[in-house]
Parts: sequence; C-alpha cells; structure tokens
Amino acid sequence: MRMLLRIVGVLVVLSLIAGAYFAWSLNHVAALPTGPVTSVAAARILLKPIPDGPNAAQLRQGQYLARLGDCLSCHLRADGDAFAGGLGLNTPFGVIYSSNISSDPEHGIGHWTPDQFYRAMHDGVDAQGQHLYPAFPYPWFRNLSREDDDALLAYLKTTPPVAYQPPGNELFFPMNVRASVALWNVISLPPQPGAQTPQGASPEWIRGEAIVLGPGHCSQCHTPRNPFGADTRGKAFQGGLLDNFVSPDLTGNERTGLGRWSIDDITEYLHTGRNTRAAAGGPMGDVVTYSTSMMTDEDRHAIAVYLKSLPASADADSTAADPASIKRGAAVFSDACTACHLENAVGQPTLFPPLGNNAVAQQNDPTGVLHIILAGVRVGPSPTRPSPLTMPSFAWKLTDQQIADVSTYIRNSWGNRASPVTAADVAKLRSKLQLDEARLTDNSGDH
Amino acid sequence: MDKPVPGRRHFLITSAVVAGTGLAGAIGATVRDGELGAPPRTYKGGVPWTEGQADAPPGVSGDDFKFFTPAERVFIEAAVSRLIPNDEVGPGAVEANVPFFIDRQLAGPYGRGDHYYLGGPWPKGTPEQGYQSRFSPAQLYRAAIAAIDKYTHANFNGADFANLSDDDRDKLLKSMESGAIQLEDGVDAKTFFAMLLQNTKEGYFSDPIYGGNKDMAAWKMIGFPGAHYDYREWVTRHGEAVPFPPVGFKGRPGWNGEG
Repeated sequence: MRMLLRIVGVLVVLSLIAGAYFAWSLNHVAALPTGPVTSVAAARILLKPIPDGPNAAQLRQGQYLARLGDCLSCHLRADGDAFAGGLGLNTPFGVIYSSNISSDPEHGIGHWTPDQFYRAMHDGVDAQGQHLYPAFPYPWFRNLSREDDDALLAYLKTTPPVAYQPPGNELFFPMNVRASVALWNVISLPPQPGAQTPQGASPEWIRGEAIVLGPGHCSQCHTPRNPFGADTRGKAFQGGLLDNFVSPDLTGNERTGLGRWSIDDITEYLHTGRNTRAAAGGPMGDVVTYSTSMMTDEDRHAIAVYLKSLPASADADSTAADPASIKRGAAVFSDACTACHLENAVGQPTLFPPLGNNAVAQQNDPTGVLHIILAGVRVGPSPTRPSPLTMPSFAWKLTDQQIADVSTYIRNSWGNRASPVTAADVAKLRSKLQLDEARLTDNSGDH
Repeated sequence: MDKPVPGRRHFLITSAVVAGTGLAGAIGATVRDGELGAPPRTYKGGVPWTEGQADAPPGVSGDDFKFFTPAERVFIEAAVSRLIPNDEVGPGAVEANVPFFIDRQLAGPYGRGDHYYLGGPWPKGTPEQGYQSRFSPAQLYRAAIAAIDKYTHANFNGADFANLSDDDRDKLLKSMESGAIQLEDGVDAKTFFAMLLQNTKEGYFSDPIYGGNKDMAAWKMIGFPGAHYDYREWVTRHGEAVPFPPVGFKGRPGWNGEG
C-alpha cells in the first residue's frame, strides 16, 4: 500500500512537471539578451600558462578540463569576470542563473572540499546539500573520474576570486522545489560512455566518445529534450532546440546532419569556428570560443571520428513549397543576402557560409534560420580566427512574409530540401525574441 | 504694408530664431551616437555586438509634415516643381515627394544644424569656407520663405511666390541663384537657393526610406539599380542588360510578389 502511494505520488509530480513544461512552452517569452555578448578576452584565462611547481601537472589537467567542459559559456556573463557566473539561461522551466565558481570563499567555491566538488559533479548536489538544476551538466560531468574532478577543483581554486553573487533563479512550480530534481535524476540521466562502445572501437573513437558524452556534454543541446527536459531516448544527437536556436543534427544525415562533412571539416570547425560549409554562431559560437578552439588537435580529431560514426537520423518528409513564395523569396535573396552569401549562395569559404547543402538551413525545425535572419548572429571568435564576423539583424528591414519567403527559398534551393515556412512561424519567433519593435541603435530611425 | 513696422520685423526674426532654438533644445537634448557632441565611448574585451539590435538607416515613418506650415508647404512645392519639373524625361520633384523629404530633413538633426558650427562671428565668408550663416537650415528655410514672399508682395502686386507664373518663378529663382536680388531679414538669397537646390536633388535621388524618390522613379529614370550588391557574375558578361530592377533599403515591389 505504501509502495502504491509512492508510485501515485511520483506520477502526480511527473504530470505537474509535464504540465508546467507545456504551459511554459506555450506562453513563455524568452527574450534576447539586452546587453552586448560576452567578452572574448575572458577566455584568455584558460590559455594562461601554469608555472612549474609541485602540483603543476594537476593544475594543467584541471585547466584543460575547464576547456573541455566549456565552463565559461555559462559561468561568464556579459561584462562579468571569468567563472563568476550570473548568466541567465532560458530553460523551458524558467530562468536559471549560473553560479559563481571562482575561488572566492564566500560567493564562489573557494572553500569547497574535493568531496563536495565530486558530489556536485557526480550527483548534482552542492556543498549545502541542495540539488543543482540539470542546466548544470552533471548528468554528463558525472562521467569524469574522481581524479579529473580533483584536478578541476584545484585549478578553479587558483582562479582570481570574484566577490559577486549571481541573482536567484526564476523557476515555476514544481521545478522551483529543488527536491523535484531528485526525481528527475531517476528518470533522466543520459547514457554513459562505454555503455554502447562497439567491439574493436579504436582508442581514438573511445577518447572521442568520452569527451562527447562526458565533459563536452554535446547532447545537452544536440539531442532533443523530452517533456522532462532530458535527452529523448532513441534520438541521440538528432538535433535540439535551445534558447530559440536550433542545435543541428550531428548524425550522418546528409541533409540535416554531418553526412557531407569530412573529419577535417569537423576539426576545422571546432578549431576556428569556420570551415567551407558553415560558421559557428549563437550558443555554438560560445562553445568554440570557450572550449573547442582551445582543445588539442588530437581531441578535436577524436571528437570528429566519434561524431562521424553516428548513424544517420531518419530523413523527415518535407512538404512542397508554393512557387509564388519561392519567387518572392528569390527576389529578397538576390537583393538582401548576396552582399555576403553571393548570387547562388556560394558564400565565401571560412567567412560567409554557403547556403546550398547547408545543414542549419535544412533543419526540420526552421527556428535556427529564422533566428539568424531576425536577430542576426555572431561567429564565435577564437585564437586563430579572432575576428567575430557578424550577420546583422534583418528584423527592421524584412516583414514576416518576406522572411518566410526568403527562408522557404533558401530551404529549397541549391540542393536544399525542407518544409516551407509561414509568416505565422516568423511572427511567433519575432514575438518570442521581442523584436516586434525593431531594436535600433542610437543613430537609426526617425529623428 | 509698404512700410512694415521695424518692431514687427524684429519680432518675426527673433521668434523664428527662438522657435528654432526651442526645437533644437527639445529634440537635441539627446545627443546620439555618431552625432556632433556625442561622448566618446570605450569598449573592452571584444568587438561590441548585441543580438537583435540593428544599425538601420535613419528612415522616416508616416506621411504627415512635421516642419512646414501649410503655407510654407505650398511655397516649397511651387519652388521645387520649377527646379525639377514633371515632364517627358521623368517625374517632377513634387511627384517624387521631395517636399516631404525636405520637411523631414528640416525637422531632424539636419534642420537643427547639428552638423554645423552656428555660433558667431558671422562675417560674409568666401565660398570655400562653406556654410557661413547664423541660421540653422530649418531657420533659414523659415526666414527665407517669409522673406521671398515679402519680396514678391512688394514686386509682383502683392502675390505670394506660389501664385506667380512658371516664368516669373523661374526668373526669381535664377536671380536668387546669381545673387542678383537682395532679401530682407538677414536672408542671403544665394545661400538659400544653393541649399534648396541641393536638398531637392537629395530628395529626388536618395533612397525612398528617407521619404523622397517615390517608387524609385528617379532611379528608374536614370537606370540606377539601387542597393543591389553582388555583380560578380556580370563582370565578364559584356553587352547584356543586367536584369536587376532598382531596389531600396526597404525592398522593391518584387519582394511582395508585385511588379
């Protein structure tokens, strides 16, 4: 009887969570950041040489893990200091602010013991015994070894202390009850490396898997979320949606995934944020800036080998586009897009991506391409390619119908195939991004 | 009215200057980035960029006149329609909405003279020294329109400039251009004519986003394609007509399936 009550209780909480998710996904408006994007200079701390000393090897290991784990993408807010946190993450359950993980003893983790840090990384429980929300990627970080965790903590304790308290989270019931996370853990943890390693896998493949499923936590964005905000089983790396951006399919699908990419294409992209096929913008731009651009060549190669082994996702059907929409879209494209992407969308290698056979353009969910047109995008700068090339926002210039037409045209030209986009799709995202009123700089607009 | 009271004349010009100053004070309180007097800014850490923010051209919205009074608007239409008349070559300045363009220019930073030094002293300069007036462009238009009408009242049987024949308007404009006539109230006829002609050309040929060049008619007339970008494919295609229709910052009819 007690068992039965427990099961009923679990089901009630689960349905509440699912209800909250759907209420959120229907109503919530996740706006764009209002300030400038995060500082590139802050990433330099991860390249600062660690002097020889008794524990130099451990500190260097910890610093490298901080690169692999992409800590700064979240633990750095615009105009903030490295590791001080305070970046608001829009999740389907509310806004979660990253914590201060600098060495500050009061606001950071300067006083944490290795046991406490291991528990946070492995079980998602902080030094006060509170459950951490899985926006902190402990479901992936739990795959690091105890030695790795000790090294990372030792390194973080050498970073400059920052006396800064990030804002409190803004979450909905029941996710604002931290104990609900305990339940989440039971149902939602992603697969561990090694669980599905095929016989005879190369050491390089195994290394790639360990990074991707471990510190790299790639599937947090690139696997679709289920209603509980966890990896959808059976859809690993088939592309997800984060912060109104599409994280593309990473499987061997030739249309939406990495099927056409060579291993060198992937390593170049991870290294520089650009290659002849694509440019890393949005959240992936941050990943390049704060993580993959600072990995070793061997690790980037290992990631590429692993990703190239992912079986292609099932190709989704697409509906045919209205020829009138294609014609209007072609007119917009020829006038508004060719300055950079050029006629026939051939692009400029490593500068402006070609749009033919472009995976982002052909994602089944058009949110990514619409986001880029509406809000613009910045290519993540990196030590080898420090210029953060940007595409401007076209929200002021193009109507919803024009954006729908040009997106439909792009998604169905030069070898591309994807379902058409409607003006209503654009209007919905424009409203979510709070761009109904164009956000103009001081010196634009009617005086 | 053949001998205006000096006090009234003084009042007119003073109120024009005060009204202009008030306008500048009210609108010019916010100095915008890139405008004269904007404070320097420091950026650190990386090239600044904000998602969703656009550096759009300062276009106009609406179709109401913000600066000209109804009477002044009649004057401007009568003047610019002689500078660029509507004929078989192409549309006239009025048809291309030039008066509206000039109105919005005068209501904004250009009209306020944000780009000029307008303090004293005000001796007559040489042409090489550029604009040498104590009036902002908006103040100059207001004072000049009044002064020209005063001139035509005195010399054309009390008629407003706008009621003169085409020939008389042409003659008057030409004598302003050459500096042959003297206007009252501190208005230099030659300076005003140069500004009016310049602004008329600007309104006729500039991007429609600024209110003039209606339907890109001026561009169609001269075959200018507007804000189209990539011509690389056409560099080696000699003797072929480039098929791109004119396009403005905010597009062209083809973007909406028209034309």
